[in-house]
Amino acid sequence: MAAPTAKSSRPSRPYGRFGQVVEELDERLGLARGGRVFLDKIFPDHWSFMLGEIALYSFVVLLATGVFLTLYYIPSSGPTVCHTPYTPLNGQITSEAFCSTVNLSFTVRAGLLMRQMHHWSCDIFVGAIVLHMARVFFTGAFRKPRELNWTIGLTMLILAILNGFIGYSLPDDLISGTGIRIAYSIILSIPVVGTYLAFFLFGGNFPGNAIIPRFFTIHVLILPAVIAGLLGAHLFLLVRQKHTQFPGHGKTERNVVGSPMYPVFIAKTTGFLFMISGVTAVLAALFQINPIWQFGQYHASNISYAVQPDWYMGWLDGALRIMPSWEFVGFGHTIPFEVLVPAVIFPGLIFTICYLWPSIERRYTKDNLLHNLLDRPRDRPKRTAAGAAMLGLLGMLFIASATDVIANFLHISLNTILILMRILVVVTPFVCYLVTWKICKELQAVPLGGRRKVANLVTLTPQGEYVATPMPPPPGTEPELAPEPVPALIETDGDGERGDGQRADEDEDAADPIGRSSVRTVPR
Amino acid sequence: MGRRSAARGRRLGALALLATAGALAALPFAQLASAASTSQHRSTTSTTLPPPSGSWRGVPPAYPPFDRHDSGMPNSTIRIFNKYGQLAVYGNRSVLYVLPQYLEPDIPVRLLIANGEQLYRANCQACHGVDANGVPPQGTPGQGGFPSLQAVGPAAIDFWIESGRMPATSTRLTQPARRPARLDHLQAIEIAAWITSRWPITPYIPKVNLAGADLAAGAALFSADCAACHTITGDGDALANSTFAPSLRDIPLMQVAEALRTGPANMPVFTGNLTDAQMKDVVAYVVRKIEHPQNPGGVGLGGLGPVGEGFVGLALGVGLLALIGFWIGDRS
Amino acid sequence: MSDSTTHGTRTPVELAAAKWSDPHMQPAARHPEHVARVVAVCFFLGLACFAGFGAAYWQNWEPWTLGALLGGGMLLVGAGLIAWGKYLMPRGPFVEDRHPLASPPDELDAFTNAVMERGATPVRRRPILGGLLGAGLGVFGIVAIFPLLRSLGPLPGTTLDVTNWAAGRYLVDAYGRRVHQDQLGLGSVMTVFPEGFAFDDQAQSMDQTILIRVDVAPLMNMTGTPMGYVAYSKLCTHAGCPVGLYERALEYLVCPCHQSMFNVPDHALPVFGPAPRPLPQLPLAIDRHGELFATAGYDQPVGPGFWERS
Repeated sequence: MAAPTAKSSRPSRPYGRFGQVVEELDERLGLARGGRVFLDKIFPDHWSFMLGEIALYSFVVLLATGVFLTLYYIPSSGPTVCHTPYTPLNGQITSEAFCSTVNLSFTVRAGLLMRQMHHWSCDIFVGAIVLHMARVFFTGAFRKPRELNWTIGLTMLILAILNGFIGYSLPDDLISGTGIRIAYSIILSIPVVGTYLAFFLFGGNFPGNAIIPRFFTIHVLILPAVIAGLLGAHLFLLVRQKHTQFPGHGKTERNVVGSPMYPVFIAKTTGFLFMISGVTAVLAALFQINPIWQFGQYHASNISYAVQPDWYMGWLDGALRIMPSWEFVGFGHTIPFEVLVPAVIFPGLIFTICYLWPSIERRYTKDNLLHNLLDRPRDRPKRTAAGAAMLGLLGMLFIASATDVIANFLHISLNTILILMRILVVVTPFVCYLVTWKICKELQAVPLGGRRKVANLVTLTPQGEYVATPMPPPPGTEPELAPEPVPALIETDGDGERGDGQRADEDEDAADPIGRSSVRTVPR
Repeated sequence: MGRRSAARGRRLGALALLATAGALAALPFAQLASAASTSQHRSTTSTTLPPPSGSWRGVPPAYPPFDRHDSGMPNSTIRIFNKYGQLAVYGNRSVLYVLPQYLEPDIPVRLLIANGEQLYRANCQACHGVDANGVPPQGTPGQGGFPSLQAVGPAAIDFWIESGRMPATSTRLTQPARRPARLDHLQAIEIAAWITSRWPITPYIPKVNLAGADLAAGAALFSADCAACHTITGDGDALANSTFAPSLRDIPLMQVAEALRTGPANMPVFTGNLTDAQMKDVVAYVVRKIEHPQNPGGVGLGGLGPVGEGFVGLALGVGLLALIGFWIGDRS
Repeated sequence: MSDSTTHGTRTPVELAAAKWSDPHMQPAARHPEHVARVVAVCFFLGLACFAGFGAAYWQNWEPWTLGALLGGGMLLVGAGLIAWGKYLMPRGPFVEDRHPLASPPDELDAFTNAVMERGATPVRRRPILGGLLGAGLGVFGIVAIFPLLRSLGPLPGTTLDVTNWAAGRYLVDAYGRRVHQDQLGLGSVMTVFPEGFAFDDQAQSMDQTILIRVDVAPLMNMTGTPMGYVAYSKLCTHAGCPVGLYERALEYLVCPCHQSMFNVPDHALPVFGPAPRPLPQLPLAIDRHGELFATAGYDQPVGPGFWERS
């Protein structure tokens, strides 16, 4: 007796051809069950959750345009007589890397567009990461269970900054070559191992012939692979732990409210991908970036004034400029603190604080609860103020990297500007902290502050006095949850289980007040 | 009648002077060519072969070995004297340095000089003194005071006046900035002619012949000598204390050459370290490329480099995208 | 698009349970047909822009047209997609439960037990194997770094301590021509290299020297400065940038990178900015032909500081 064949005995699937395709795939991959869950996944909709997507899709644009560039760029410092339509470089001896980049800009069709899209999307990429990180910080999304995601994201920020620096150094032009020289000196300044590390990385003394090819490998292969891997882990954790959400109507610690993956979220996110590519392309069309043909080939004895690194390295350049010239010489050795502190110790300190922040906050607030609901920044004045202080410090350092541009623009002495920046960099974090803390406190004191506007009924009393009474909110606009202050100390009830809020028993709402919602979900 | 023929004679004389100079231009070219073939200082003769020492840094263009001639000083290939035995023009095929009065051949020299003295007394004497000897500085060295004009040469005088920096608008400026000139070209020539007639000294006013300028060599020179102060895009920037390197956009050709040979304010003087042939190349680069930058990629963002790019990228790029995110998401 | 005024539609519902008649499944737009028309126009214009991009590429138009058409097309298609998703698709909001991440305690214990017991038992029976394996992996970890790190480059040795300058080396410019005493006027500046090393890129980075001619009078107790010629290492002692910026009236060398200022007549002492040490001076002399040469090399390592620099 023949076994029943697949097609003839099974009932035909609904939806015709598409249903048949789904069946074929499901027989091989088993995708229907998991696929349904996947399609139904809910994504919260708040606009500030889109900032991470800007970074994600900028990375996609970087990869796409980057592949194009690798097909034309030659990663070599070897000499070549450069033939290019740009007359001042035509017939000059330059490096292969520089000449190939100039020809990318002038000879390869759409080459300049791809180069500029690549560079603009890198600026946007790092900017979006910083914005996204600020959102995560100020809303407390890094708390348990998402500390690992915070760590992964911070690592991606550091790698993105590094990759950007290496990337814009690839054309071997005058300005980026100066940046490489400074980077070499920074590595040299590290005590004990500095000279070894510098010689290993550069294959000898500066400049050598090895650094451009090595930068190419790092920029195209190693760092993008690591970033892509971390990105995968970042997104996996996001899907596994589900996204956080702001407290509000129907939102609790134990649900997610928003739009389904299919069709709404996929439509919006694909549309966002297109818009990010579009904005990058329009920027690349209208605004010139990194015109390396005007800068010329890098020579170790040439220099230009007004050299700043790309914006995401600006804070380090500013730190290098304002640092006083404290160098330690003694016991037969030199420790150049004027380079070591601003370029190695200071960023190390900043990133260490960022890495440790979830632990710091957990220790300080003694809060070991799981958090799926976000804070409003004003409800955590100290954290918000600390973040503002950090942003103020970094912002001042960014401005300090442009001392000469500011002095030129305002017609003020360069020396005065530098001394002013030294003072500002120290003072600004404290001022930012105090001002932000105060603003948060003030906002907290305003009832229904920042919420939907409430109408006031103004009546004239017989005595001639005007009295304003708030109107009740319109029907259907339930008052949103007032913020619950995080208790400074959580009492345990002896068995040590008080803190995790994940018990599945019936009195979970009583045990975990933050999870309470004002309206229960519609019963099935 | 006599005066008109005298004027015509003067005009003819001046034209003959310049024609002789042009005809003699063939001579330094031949000299240069012969010097090039017998040079012991250049390493290769071809720009297509890689240079020795395993490096690619660059093969120099066909400049002759430096022989201390043709560098903006009177010991140049062409030297033309006027009927009084005064050096009137010197230079070579690339640059001719001309006494101011011979730039305006239509005007009698005596009239030029007399006008120049009058203009000096009216506009410059108050600060620079009756004898153009200036006032010594009373503060930090090199700053303050009003410099003597006796030893600067007509090129410097013409540069400062035609760029509008002089007559200065204030006595307390650390470094006067370029402004619309208050005295026109003829008046500047006249003042320069008077001062040179009293205290003759070089450099004379340069007339650069851009024909045959090598823009690639000019770019290399600019990168090596000029970019350190004026930035590689020629946009200028603030220097130490309240000094600054001005932007090189919209500067007439003659003023670029005058600045190179006289080193105004804090600018170094480029004399023997820049031959006239080199100066022709770098002046051509400034006038053709710096002042008309090729920006095929779009708006040039003021040549500020990454500072401007950072602003635009963050404000326009990230800002616009954040706004779009604001549209996509909810607001509650 | 705006929040509905009725109580019910702001309450989230489960997606699987929602019926098609549920207001949550309706589009958010008040006039979906109008929005659909706008979306259609967006898509059509986007298509036209993409076609225009193709034409611009084929016909090799100006670079900015390529980007503008591509970007415009992307923006239009993206806007259309977003509008479709936001206004024409089920408006929601929908809700889904979070499954607790933590496992029940018995599963936790079973897991820990499996790791500890199943893994520990063989190790307890044969401890030497575990120790040897650990030692082997440890040594591998250490020696694996050797090719990864040490093969990358040579040891520094004394490379950073010396330059090609020595007694008797003539000064040459970037074109290999010797410098004559009449070459620079007062207030002139040029970059020089030791003769024979002007074209070596590697040597150039260390040997680069800036030659300035200053007035003899202000030179403060300096030797090796014939006729006002003074030569300093061009490598900034802060971070190694070439100090090519000379301010003639101030007699300052200013480093363009971080604005360290060196006083030229006074041993190039740093008077402002982050540079810690003066620029090393190259002592000069003039031979009988009038050509400049160095009477000695630099008396200290040039450039920024490093650990072995004493």
